[in-house]
Amino acid sequence: MSAMKGERMSSPTDSSTDTGAGPDAGTTAGVDPAETAAATDAATGQPADASENAERDRAAVASTGAEPVATESLRASAATWRAFRKEPLGLLALAVMAVLVFVAVAAPLLAPYPGSYGDTVLEGPTGAHWFGTDSLGRDVFGEVIWGTQQSLLVAVLASLIAIAVGTLVAVVGAYFRKLDGPISVLVDLMLSLPVLPLMILIAALVGPSTTTIILVVAAFSWPEVTRIVRSQALTVVGLPYVDAARLMTTSPAWIITKHIIPAVTPVIVVSVVVTASRAVLSAAGLAFLGLGDPNTWSWGRILYEAQQSGAMSSAWWLTLFPSLAILALVLSATLLSIAYNDARNPKSRRR
Amino acid sequence: MSLWSFVLRRFGRGILTIWFAVTVTFLLLRLLPGDPALAVASPNMTDEAREALLTQYGLNQPLIVQYGLYLWQLVQGNLGVSFTQSIPVLDVLMQRLPWTLLLTGTALVFTVLVGVPLGVLAAARRGTGWDRLVQIVGVTGQSLFVPSVGVLLLFTFGLTLGWFPIGGAYTNGTYGGEWYLSVIQHLVLPATSLVLIQLGSYVLTMRSTLIDALGEDYTTLAHANGMPPRRVLWKHALRNALLPTTTLIGLQLGFLVGGAVLTETVFAYPGIGRGIFEAVTQLDFPVLQGAFLMLALTVVVINMLTDLVYGLLDPRVKTS
Repeated sequence: MSAMKGERMSSPTDSSTDTGAGPDAGTTAGVDPAETAAATDAATGQPADASENAERDRAAVASTGAEPVATESLRASAATWRAFRKEPLGLLALAVMAVLVFVAVAAPLLAPYPGSYGDTVLEGPTGAHWFGTDSLGRDVFGEVIWGTQQSLLVAVLASLIAIAVGTLVAVVGAYFRKLDGPISVLVDLMLSLPVLPLMILIAALVGPSTTTIILVVAAFSWPEVTRIVRSQALTVVGLPYVDAARLMTTSPAWIITKHIIPAVTPVIVVSVVVTASRAVLSAAGLAFLGLGDPNTWSWGRILYEAQQSGAMSSAWWLTLFPSLAILALVLSATLLSIAYNDARNPKSRRR
Repeated sequence: MSLWSFVLRRFGRGILTIWFAVTVTFLLLRLLPGDPALAVASPNMTDEAREALLTQYGLNQPLIVQYGLYLWQLVQGNLGVSFTQSIPVLDVLMQRLPWTLLLTGTALVFTVLVGVPLGVLAAARRGTGWDRLVQIVGVTGQSLFVPSVGVLLLFTFGLTLGWFPIGGAYTNGTYGGEWYLSVIQHLVLPATSLVLIQLGSYVLTMRSTLIDALGEDYTTLAHANGMPPRRVLWKHALRNALLPTTTLIGLQLGFLVGGAVLTETVFAYPGIGRGIFEAVTQLDFPVLQGAFLMLALTVVVINMLTDLVYGLLDPRVKTS
């Protein structure tokens, strides 16, 4: 029964995140009903996703060469790249992402920091101000450019923290079976919390700053990572080569870092992208509510100030450009993860 | 495993979920910085006045005592009194929650009404231009930023065209049928933005689960038996493909009720999300605790309903 419980609690999120991750998405969701039934029948206490997904994941591991042999994985990533190059949408997304990263890094060269008052207030896009000016006469183009830096910083740092914590918890749980039960209960409980209201609560009480935003977003993103990585890690731990590794060493840390983490890397890569794009949306949401860093420009802050000044109704450029920037980043991240999934997994390419 | 022990387990799980949410909220409020006395009195109050306030609200007792008292009151159904409005928390929440439930419920119904047929269309015509279009719409829909969509709708249909009111939940001073009409008018734009946000997940989930179902042996058998393709699609494959969508509904609705704060902010809609935001800025501890309890309760109730629907849709769940 415990198997079914775990499955039912985790399955809904499966469909929602995975759809985000691409066409491969539904596969997991699709197995669910059968899986639930099967899991209940078996009732071995073995987590349901492990047994059912085992075959598929083994195939995935084999086809992607996630095996921790250096030359093998090199050849596999070359194959993935070859397949990836044939995806026009994936390449486009990669290009958009590259432009955004460039803009973030080169922000000081592209536009002066929009801090002071300007002389033309609420002016539409012109040659001098490409994206127009806001209610204090500041250049919106500069705000969007500097906002890119902030958004990418939050996305990268928050998702790195979430991935590190989430992966660690997942593999430790998968390796030490005694911990797996409590960990999966904790993850389920965390996932059932109302995330956005809690983020608002913490950001408001602690005081808005970039660090707060990063930590808050990371604190509510790791359970999702754990859930995704855990099901893959459970499969890997059951594979014969891990048993073989157990004969070689008594150090769990060695087995986890050398054998288990490399095998779950493909899942982590997709997870990074999905977590990062969610982090962008969460951070922008907090900033839109006025809980962003008041000293740094972010896309959400432009929208927040537009709404506060009451200019949102007349000055369309105040909302359009930051909105487009958010869409460009999140959409390209999503497309990138889909293309990566397709390139890595020939099974989903057929769809 | 008997049905009763299953129900009992689910119930215990629900209680655990609610306890966890309540405890997390309690601890965050007490341990993070933020002086609730400031919420009611001026920052210039004397130390004695501050002490008196804290004593009045029981906030200067040891944490564990506060927690015990809070849980004890909670079990008795007493949510406390709002710091700022001096009325029972339950009354504060009950002014808010119905609006959010109306908004999210309406959005959910329309999302399913639009999303499921779109997913079926894409799956039935896999590989065609329709499929491609639906997929692009789905992926784009998932990448939308809630306030952006809200502001776009507000700007276009509220301000420029003037078709719909731009904020609030009803028109003041209207009664009877007129009032209901104004409620519907105020509902259109926020509900539409929520539909647009969620549509992507539903379409993509529906599409891929239906494609899987269409590849199963039983659909091949149904085709081989000479059953009309339309019947195979809508009657046999769809019923199985609806299961993951049901779980998605259960999960999304829980998120939606809490996540509606952004939409509610854009449209100045008096829902619970906006209520939480206002309570946070006022440091109104009892209202916050009550609101998070309500959200957790909503999630648990929805999950139980999902289980029930699951049992109705999938006979295997009932027998096993």
